[in-house]
Amino acid sequence: MNLDQEQLRKALVSLSVESALLKIGGPVYDKVVKQLSKEYNCYLPDCYEHPEYLNKVLKKIFGNAYIPVVEAIKKELDDHIMEKPVEIFVNTISE
Amino acid sequence: MQNNLEKLQEQKSLFTCLVITGLGILVATFFGKEVVKIVTDFTYIPAGGTLVVLSFMLSIRFRSAGNHGKAWLLFLGTAISWFIAETTWTVYELVYHQNPFPSYADAFYLAGYPCLFLFSLQYLKPFKKLISKKMLISTSLIAISVLIPNLYMTFDNNSSESKFAIILGAIYPVADAIVLVPAMIGIVLFFRGEVNFLWTLLLMGILFEVIADTGFQYFTLNNSYYTGHPIDILFLWAYIMFSFGVYSHIQIFKKEAKISGSKNLFDNKLTN
Repeated sequence: MNLDQEQLRKALVSLSVESALLKIGGPVYDKVVKQLSKEYNCYLPDCYEHPEYLNKVLKKIFGNAYIPVVEAIKKELDDHIMEKPVEIFVNTISE
Repeated sequence: MQNNLEKLQEQKSLFTCLVITGLGILVATFFGKEVVKIVTDFTYIPAGGTLVVLSFMLSIRFRSAGNHGKAWLLFLGTAISWFIAETTWTVYELVYHQNPFPSYADAFYLAGYPCLFLFSLQYLKPFKKLISKKMLISTSLIAISVLIPNLYMTFDNNSSESKFAIILGAIYPVADAIVLVPAMIGIVLFFRGEVNFLWTLLLMGILFEVIADTGFQYFTLNNSYYTGHPIDILFLWAYIMFSFGVYSHIQIFKKEAKISGSKNLFDNKLTN
């Protein structure tokens, strides 16, 4: 039961990141996915466990402007922000 | 490491292009005004054409989806408009042997500016929360300050040029100053990011345009402007800056083979 919940959260977080990035542009999403794979050997859903990777990739692409991207991801996760693991994820990518 | 090498290589090519263009125009000047006119007119066409091709490639890549997709479509509009303007200018000058300023070419030059401005707005839209009032005011003040020499020239001259030509000539630096504001904001926003290179080159390109347009106005009012005048080098450099900026973006967001050949990263990784 707990595992299912975690899987669901993982999917939710991944979909939220994807949705936020696709709103900027498809190639932006592709770039983030590519960079995660190239530098950390990780896929987008893995960012649920390693949000610091996503944080670093966003910073590398957008520099100082990574914050609004994080905000957009946060907005996508609005309904689940009270859940502790989601909160941890959001806080880590915001650092 | 490889990225840094690519960036360095890109900068080297950019520098080479700038030097070749500048020297080409200067050397052609030694062969007389007719030669430099032909060389310059025929340099503008590939310069503008390259920007169209690169912008088209990027628009295709972004498929007009998302904020940046729409932004690149608008940028393509600017590139096409300026390319038509350059071609019209060349036809007026080399085919009809008429003075191309003022002419229909100006309509296309000017039409490129709203597209460029809207491109910047659309590109920066997802990041608008970071744009503070202070940032907006300070960049606007810088933009206004670069306009001062041009406004001074426009209102304080005794040129034989028609009022229409003088006002038309003055509109360009005003349009440049307007597009300068989001370009400066872009540099600040994306500081340290990979996309910053595009904004740096866009800003430099627009700055070249501001100086060139002010110079064009000055030499036109003096009746000393001719196509191939050294001021034209700055217009060409602006095209080169824009083209390299767009190229850097193509490099950043280029399509690559699917990672590990997986059809859906979700399906594969979610089960792990």
